[in-house]
Amino acid sequence: MRTLVRNVLSSTETKQETTSVVMTERPWNVVVWDDPVTPMSVVVVIFRRIFGYSNNKCTQLMLQVHHEGRAIVWSGANDRATSYCVKLQVAGLQATIEKDE
Amino acid sequence: MVGNRLFVRRRDGRIEVRLNDAGREVAREAFGRVVAAERDPQHEWREGLNPPIDPSVDSDDPLSTLNRQNEISTNAELAYMTLGEQFLNEGEAWAWLSTLQIALRSTATSHGLLNEEKLAACEPVLLDFIRTLQQFLFALAECI
Repeated sequence: MRTLVRNVLSSTETKQETTSVVMTERPWNVVVWDDPVTPMSVVVVIFRRIFGYSNNKCTQLMLQVHHEGRAIVWSGANDRATSYCVKLQVAGLQATIEKDE
Repeated sequence: MVGNRLFVRRRDGRIEVRLNDAGREVAREAFGRVVAAERDPQHEWREGLNPPIDPSVDSDDPLSTLNRQNEISTNAELAYMTLGEQFLNEGEAWAWLSTLQIALRSTATSHGLLNEEKLAACEPVLLDFIRTLQQFLFALAECI
């Protein structure tokens, strides 16, 4: 019995505590930039088609691009952000990706 | 151009193109230039067609760049092939919109028209071309 207790204690003593730290990667933003020639309604149509957002949301984003010079239109994983950026560029908008600050 | 609606959505879902010969000629010039720019690395629009995806790195992922080139070419060629059509389906109308928009932005970029003041001060022939493309885009966006 004594031997058993000693074994249990020694195994407990040698047990190392481990802590796990979850690292959350910062998302990638898809940014659309303003330009002086693109009609506003075209921007709304392109957002609706590519992202499937409501008309209201597309209009809000378009106005943000127009007034602030740029707007973040999507955030998430790098590969999807790149894919959306390419789709926006194929549709003729000025778009880039950037890592969220 | 006929009336004041250049494109009309029909009940069967197709989009009717109501451009006259002069209007189609402007579209032909725009689509033709995008097709040419995709094929010619020295074309004046080439830079505008290849903007960076991630400006923080020296070069973009080649697969993403290739994908963009393929899609732009496909849209421009489809738009060019359907120039004479009276009706466009959804995919063809999207190809027209994308290619017109690329032509519009490439025209502005290649002439350094990066703000309202420079746009207003550009030569009348160029401004007329830009305004015509904008009119086409505005009308088409209403149907899509």
